[in-house]
Amino acid sequence: MIKFAFLNNKLLNRNAKASGVILFLLLLCNCSKPAQDLTDYTKTYPSQSGGTMIDAMTGEPSGLISMIAGESASSAISGNIFNKLLKYNKNLDLEGELAESWQVSDDQKTITFKLKPNLKWADGKPLTSADVLWTWHAVIDEKTGSPYASDYQLVKKAEAPDPLTFSVTYEQAYAPALDSWAGLQVLPEHLLKGQDLHTTAFARNPVGSHYYKLDNWTHGENIKLSRNPSSVLGQAKIDHLVSRIIPDSSAQFLELMAGNIDSMGLDPIKYARIIPARPELLQKLALYKELGNSYTYLGFNLKHKPFDDVRVRRAINYAIDKQEIIDGVYLGLGINIASPYKPGTRWSNPNLAPYPYDPNKAKALLKEAGFTDTNGDGILERDGKPFSFEILTNQNKEREKSAVLIQRRLKAVGIDVKIRAIEWASFISRFIKTGDFDVVVLGWSLGLDPDQYSIWHSSQQAPGQFNFIGYNNSIVDKLLEQGRLELNPDKRMKIYHEFARVLLDDSPIVFLSAGYGLTAIHKRVKGIDSPAPPAGLGWNSETWYIPEPLRRNEISAN
Amino acid sequence: MMTKSVFKKALKNPLSKAGFIIIIGVFLLAMFAPIISPYDPDDINVKAILLSPSWQHWMGTDGLGRDVLARMLFGGRISLLVGLVAVGISTAIGILLGAIAGYYRGWIDTVIMRLVDVMLSIPSFFLILAVIAFLTPSIINVMIVIGLTSWMGVTRLVRAEFLSLTEREFVQASRTLGAKDARLIFTHLLPNSLTPIIVSSVLGVAGAVLMESGLSFLGLGVQAPQASWGNILTDGKDYIQFAWWLSLFPGLAILITVLGYNLLGEGFRDALDPRSENK
Repeated sequence: MIKFAFLNNKLLNRNAKASGVILFLLLLCNCSKPAQDLTDYTKTYPSQSGGTMIDAMTGEPSGLISMIAGESASSAISGNIFNKLLKYNKNLDLEGELAESWQVSDDQKTITFKLKPNLKWADGKPLTSADVLWTWHAVIDEKTGSPYASDYQLVKKAEAPDPLTFSVTYEQAYAPALDSWAGLQVLPEHLLKGQDLHTTAFARNPVGSHYYKLDNWTHGENIKLSRNPSSVLGQAKIDHLVSRIIPDSSAQFLELMAGNIDSMGLDPIKYARIIPARPELLQKLALYKELGNSYTYLGFNLKHKPFDDVRVRRAINYAIDKQEIIDGVYLGLGINIASPYKPGTRWSNPNLAPYPYDPNKAKALLKEAGFTDTNGDGILERDGKPFSFEILTNQNKEREKSAVLIQRRLKAVGIDVKIRAIEWASFISRFIKTGDFDVVVLGWSLGLDPDQYSIWHSSQQAPGQFNFIGYNNSIVDKLLEQGRLELNPDKRMKIYHEFARVLLDDSPIVFLSAGYGLTAIHKRVKGIDSPAPPAGLGWNSETWYIPEPLRRNEISAN
Repeated sequence: MMTKSVFKKALKNPLSKAGFIIIIGVFLLAMFAPIISPYDPDDINVKAILLSPSWQHWMGTDGLGRDVLARMLFGGRISLLVGLVAVGISTAIGILLGAIAGYYRGWIDTVIMRLVDVMLSIPSFFLILAVIAFLTPSIINVMIVIGLTSWMGVTRLVRAEFLSLTEREFVQASRTLGAKDARLIFTHLLPNSLTPIIVSSVLGVAGAVLMESGLSFLGLGVQAPQASWGNILTDGKDYIQFAWWLSLFPGLAILITVLGYNLLGEGFRDALDPRSENK
């Protein structure tokens, strides 16, 4: 599913102030060395059950019904509690999760799922196709207002003829259909029927069917999960998962170094500079790097002049040195991209190359578009007005730094740029939803299906929808519509390759880079696949284990 | 004149002398930043990211390879400018309202003093946060907002001075001779209440420098890439265990500057205090 990417978004709250205090205290206590940890974490141990794994999250979920919350904090937790019909395996092929098998009809319009027998909710009640049907009704209900509703609204008819069978029929063949059923978490009808999903106590006290169940949720502190003994897919190895809510990433990092949390996402400087420079950290932390399905971009408001002019957009694309951003901001931990697809996957068109850094070409294009420096101040003008705009971004260190580098490169071709970093929530509500911006630096996290209808189709421009840059290209519209209907993978691939080619040529956004997801996990956690398979590091997290000798003292584990 | 003697007396105190020297020093460094500074503060060098202090970069480099010393010097200009302008605004408002309240008394005095009470009852840092959140964060807005939210002390001070001065013989005499309000206020009352105003302004600058640093630290003050001590400190926050120089130097600069203003202000205050006359 598509989400706004806002990694490490700094929240402006009491914790920001608190960290100022912590920061000062740290200066004072930095000199005292922590007790030496003499455990040998490299030893191999047989897989065994038990133990607690602790991680940290920057934001607290608003609730654990993820179809309503629509935020990564919520799905990170609820993904351990609720099952879906289908899931992706290690190599990103679909396989059944609740479904034992599924069948697509010859006209490609009907999918029939057969559920595994004897499925149970954590409270002992049976899980049947009626629950799946109820969940579908809930997600498409106008009252639910789910951001993911559009995928499921295309279902014309859904049925549960017997407890083990669930079938859906689409108006027309819909290529992303199976992918969408690997995204919908199935909720228990018997606990939710007749309730308002927005206010139900269930959102804070859920009952699911997956590997874990909610133990305890202390508001503002942590969410504790424990193994669900009646899990339908067998038993996970680790007994307890604790997610501590630590809004400030530097405070999270301190906890990681102190061994009080077991894993966290890192920024490039922590990954490439800080941890490698400290042997005592390398001794207990394992570093993982995987190319995520996300990218950072500079997006133009195409409804504002002069960004409606393709020459101006191309000029800015030529004027930005993307390699410099990858080297300087991501310390080399990023990849130059030319399409909105993860490089190396089938959907990424191998024949496309990013715009090279070429300031002279940029200047020529700007001149062609009517911009000249008439008053000799180094800034270009058109119709007497200087070419000047503001780049908005959220308070994310990497994006702010990228903006500073872009500012410098654009100044060199005669464009005056100002930068403004805004707190995430007000950034979205005040500027993105209202379309009140010239240029943004933002990121997209993408799903596995190549369909990007919601981002690029001209019909998706209403406030709150994802095509907020106002992109309107009839060729792209047509390709996106075709891509959704085409079920032959090779033909579908060609459609998306062509889509990416048109997009690159039109340059409605400047692709800055695809960054690596960087993670540190304490070496006490074993069984992690490295290097990460295509499905990502966490694909087999239920088989991760913590050998008994390496477990932390359970008393201190809260 | 009274002010001059107070100044002399204040500087006899070694602590306030130290404060004075610190402030002069900081001012000179900021003023001559373009000459002293070894690098351009906005000179990015992606090959020299987060270098620790060395002969080449005395205070190291930041996350974009910019020289921290250069950014500190230019950031100092911002911090001092914000301090002075903000206090200028608050002092001007404070004098105006205090003079009106203290000279005319009556209902207008009541209105102004209740307004002061209301303003004082709102925690000023959160008031400023709220106001800045509505405006675009920029150095000019920060100066204005700090100025507009910190005039209450001066108002009270000026009013109190005026209340007591209007009863003094030379004022009464002048009034009997037919002097107009404006003449009384500007030639008699104001010059004689200048000393406490200066004291409170000096202390006010310290507060404003801190406030600006705090706002910039939270990302609501001076915006990147322009340097200010507060936002250099924010840059360093994430890497404090590794790139200590990014937190230490701006932290020290803020500490020393605020200390300087406070020492000087305290010195003035002591010198003014009649009970410390014989010291």
